[in-house]
Amino acid sequence: MPIITISRGTMSGGRAVAECLAERLHCPCVGREVLQQAAESLGASEETVRGKLQTPPGPWDTVTKERHIYVVAVQAALAGQCVTGTLVYHGLAGQLLLRGLPGVLRVRLIAPMALRIQSLVGHHPHTSQEAAERYIRKVDRQRRRWVRAMYGAEVGDTLLYDLTINLRAISLDTACVMVTEMAQQPHYEVTDAVRAQLVAFAATCRQRLDAIVAVRR
Amino acid sequence: MAIISICRGTKSGGQALAECLAEHLGYPILGREILQVTAADLGVSEQDLTRQFERAPKLWDRQGALRRVYVVAVQAALAEHVVAGNLVYHGLAGQFLLRGLPAVLRTRLIAPVELRVRVLMETEGMARDAAKRHIRDVDAARARWVKMMHGERIEDPALYDVVINLTNGSIPAACAVVTKAVQQPEFTVTNDVKTALENFRLACRVKLALVTAPDTRGLPLEVEAASGVVEISGSAPLLSSGETGDRIAQIARSVKGVREMRLKVQWFDPYP
Repeated sequence: MPIITISRGTMSGGRAVAECLAERLHCPCVGREVLQQAAESLGASEETVRGKLQTPPGPWDTVTKERHIYVVAVQAALAGQCVTGTLVYHGLAGQLLLRGLPGVLRVRLIAPMALRIQSLVGHHPHTSQEAAERYIRKVDRQRRRWVRAMYGAEVGDTLLYDLTINLRAISLDTACVMVTEMAQQPHYEVTDAVRAQLVAFAATCRQRLDAIVAVRR
Repeated sequence: MAIISICRGTKSGGQALAECLAEHLGYPILGREILQVTAADLGVSEQDLTRQFERAPKLWDRQGALRRVYVVAVQAALAEHVVAGNLVYHGLAGQFLLRGLPAVLRTRLIAPVELRVRVLMETEGMARDAAKRHIRDVDAARARWVKMMHGERIEDPALYDVVINLTNGSIPAACAVVTKAVQQPEFTVTNDVKTALENFRLACRVKLALVTAPDTRGLPLEVEAASGVVEISGSAPLLSSGETGDRIAQIARSVKGVREMRLKVQWFDPYP
């Protein structure tokens, strides 16, 4: 079974599909745990790390490269989870943090705005439709700017993903079935050679993080 | 049973995927041959028809009645095929021609330019630069067509149910995923879906009759059908003779399957 990263806009059903996949494929499912681990390694709060990965960098960040430190920490935490070769990651920027690695199936889920608003209002019944839409658009805009600033890529570019599924007509269950089918294709098989690359990648990420932590001390 | 439409850039493996799906699912397959049949029905050349689908409208043709005739004719021909409830369509503009229909899985296949260039060089014996130029030109023309006709970006993933990237994937993998998807409940062709497909066919037949009749061909009319009842909306000039309305009604009623006709046309004065 490969490593599956799930990218999605807020309120697009990412967590539900991730949990369904983890159950079907019998593999661990992580999201915020990676942020917690990264925060621990830097001695920062989880909220700080989340903020650094969600809000676009300002002019000061380009001078200090501080944002980069948090990305390295999250990447190291994620890479550490990947060494077994089986994982569902539904946290932030998985498709970019694991870019170029073999045995990684990069999935993106999209959903029409109306469905996302309905989902948000369902979770927070005191939120109005207008406020929900404003919030979703703001988060989308921030993620777009973050990806553009950090990786020079467009978060909506379908070439960044192996599979993009639109939940307009496709249910979460069907999305889960489709990703499971793709994950079972030979290209995503985690062979010994792939596992060795994952281990090497984790070690490199760890070294980079250790170097940063040493300098900060 | 389901209907699968495949949209892709030139040399992105669309035909191979369609053939694989047709074989796996036992569905009929339809591609560009629909243009040949439609062209023959309209009495025009296939090249003329293809050009109207692949080339962006010129400035003076943006409201072109002729282009509308061709698009409606191809849609009507496609409607005759989809009514059976199982089809793999890999011809042009399936995501638009079948928009809003139930049990349709709108698939897009994408591949990096480098891969497509290689395919073109191998299959057509083209030089690298010429192959690159060809792909760029065809992509740009199709993107312009979609922008002009529908106001959308062809690469917008919201236009499709699934986008499969062949950078790491393969045609058999894409085929397996799509096969699995159409076996899920939301793509089952129930009696309600069959009715919707029949309504779509009837609406397309009426639309075709209206755009090919000399008296009504230039009118921007929309048609909806429900169990033999056809509703025609849009706008048309109000002539003192009152002929236009009568003519629309007469043409619609002449179409096989129309039981009743409702006219909801906004009339305007052509000589204010």
